Amino acid sequence: MNRNGKRGMLGRGFQLGKLGLSLVGSYLGYQAQNFLLGEGEQRKVRFHQQASRRVRDELGVLKGAVMKLGQLLSMQSKVLPEEALRELSDLQMRAPGMHATLARAQFKAALGKYPEDVFREFDSEPFAAASLGQVHRAITRSGERVAVKIQYPAIRSAIENDFTLLRSATLPGRLSGHLPTGLVDEFQKGFLEETDYVQEADNLDFFRKGLSGLTYLTIPRVYREFSTDRVLTMSHIEGEILGDFLKRKPSAAVRDLIGTRLAEMFDTQLHWLKKVHADHHPGNYLFRPDGRIGLVDFGCVKRSHFEISALMHCYLERTWQKSEAAERQFFRLIFGPKVPHKRARKVLPVLERLCDIVYPRDASANAVVDFRDPKLHELGSQYSWHILREKLIPPECGLIGRAQMGLHHILYELGARVNAKEVWRQVFAAGGIEERKSDALKSS
Amino acid sequence: MKRRTGGLRAVKGRGKRVENKEKTKRAILRAALELFAGKGFYRTTTKTISRKAGIAEGTLFNYFETKEDLALYFFEESLSEIIQWYEHDRRMKRAALPEKLFGIIEHLLDSLAPYEEFIGAVYLRSLAPASKLSPFSLQSQERHLRYLRFIRDILAEAEEEGEIPRLGDLGAHAFAAFQVGVITYWLQDSSRGKEQTLALLDRCLKLSTHFLKKGGWDW
Repeated sequence: MNRNGKRGMLGRGFQLGKLGLSLVGSYLGYQAQNFLLGEGEQRKVRFHQQASRRVRDELGVLKGAVMKLGQLLSMQSKVLPEEALRELSDLQMRAPGMHATLARAQFKAALGKYPEDVFREFDSEPFAAASLGQVHRAITRSGERVAVKIQYPAIRSAIENDFTLLRSATLPGRLSGHLPTGLVDEFQKGFLEETDYVQEADNLDFFRKGLSGLTYLTIPRVYREFSTDRVLTMSHIEGEILGDFLKRKPSAAVRDLIGTRLAEMFDTQLHWLKKVHADHHPGNYLFRPDGRIGLVDFGCVKRSHFEISALMHCYLERTWQKSEAAERQFFRLIFGPKVPHKRARKVLPVLERLCDIVYPRDASANAVVDFRDPKLHELGSQYSWHILREKLIPPECGLIGRAQMGLHHILYELGARVNAKEVWRQVFAAGGIEERKSDALKSS
Repeated sequence: MKRRTGGLRAVKGRGKRVENKEKTKRAILRAALELFAGKGFYRTTTKTISRKAGIAEGTLFNYFETKEDLALYFFEESLSEIIQWYEHDRRMKRAALPEKLFGIIEHLLDSLAPYEEFIGAVYLRSLAPASKLSPFSLQSQERHLRYLRFIRDILAEAEEEGEIPRLGDLGAHAFAAFQVGVITYWLQDSSRGKEQTLALLDRCLKLSTHFLKKGGWDW
């Protein structure tokens, strides 16, 4: 077992090395060409495309955590050039997957029977690919349409290998303190949890119950009899992924409605369920023209100790301006109990300006936030940069931060305008949710 | 006229005899496999096999001299089964080369799965030079040749399609060696559902086809 793991790790190391080498190779080629021919914008675009396509192909072969990293990068809208982003965003749904024969064999490895012996119909071509597996359409013996998610074989050991590599690659960052060790551990834990589909089935049940009050939201039902830790059979959900949905040019009203609902879903999860669907990449959302939303892929769920109501109170009332004790309390809420006060203060000016946009103080002011607003983006990246520089990332907030970042990315792509203050007010006041919350907590 | 009918009857009779003989052979093999799966290769005696198959022990020896002959017959039958499956499977016809080769080994492993202990025992026995199971015995060589031709035809098709460069007979030999490696790995694979073997098989086949396609022999 151990020996095999080592071999896999060396193989991956080799491939990652090759990726680096081949990129350097073509960068050098580009520089040489540049030197000889002079720079043309056209060629630059083409080059970027080639390089990022190579990144995508190599990441697709590697699978596992490295691919997740690619997905995370692709959500950082402003960090990468537009062309690279477009190629990378392909990773989110269209990762190179298993051929039909492998998927069928892996199904049998998990359930002990071939799919054709379990279902009335089984589509051997997958309709969606995820980093850890792929999804096939099927019809049960009783005639229900289902989606069957099949995991790539031995993905768990592949992820463990990637993290061994990632640990050595991030050593300088960890030594300097810019990347807390806990953060890498937390990511690894999160990714490994995603490989357990039984856990995901439990999450699906939890959120189906807990969010049942949001009538516009559909969450698939699990068929436990056709599921194991590596195969997950769920009811089929209608809808289109973000890119396809936007091609239909939905009206601003629909986009705003969807944006508002996404924000409501997020606040409700944090405040009432104390658990968050933390994998906000656009492939996990299915949209319908009437504004209904389907939420799939509950592999990455974060139990949160984040006191969002206390934090929102700070944001809305600007409590930190009132006394030093209040300021300390505010920092503890955002950056955890061991926050270095002096360094946290340096972030405050940017945070205040962000707060003025998202939660305007003046009651009469127009509180609608346009997620395409360049000012918001500028402040957002300034804020992330400050946090990184002042080493303020609390490990337990890694996945929540990732979830929030993903949500903002979707709102940006959607071009939605959302009244964040009003959304929060309504979620907070929704007394009816109280019962559902206790129900959901009981069942968990 | 009369003679002709008589001749026909004789041929028919012979055909029936051959058929019956095959039937008994298969019944013996079925009984033996069941016992191998339960008790293991070494602890199963020819006596118990004949009792299970419902024939006299002496009759058993008319068909199979030793347990090794039984094992040889098993391998011949499973090779015939794979070739037949491959030729009638619609998906295999249009699949890309890595999937075809994956399908062949996966189909083989799936049919071997209930008899893992038996396969392991045969592996050990085949190391003895005097054994009929040794890869150098004429019986083994004949079967191996049939297998090589089968793989050679599949590779030739991929060569025609330009999926891989021309490999000659070497491709089939290399694949046969690879298959032995995979079966050895599979025998020792303790992961659930033997998924490590699936992953190994998939990656090896994809990578080697990829490299062959990219550079042929020149890389």
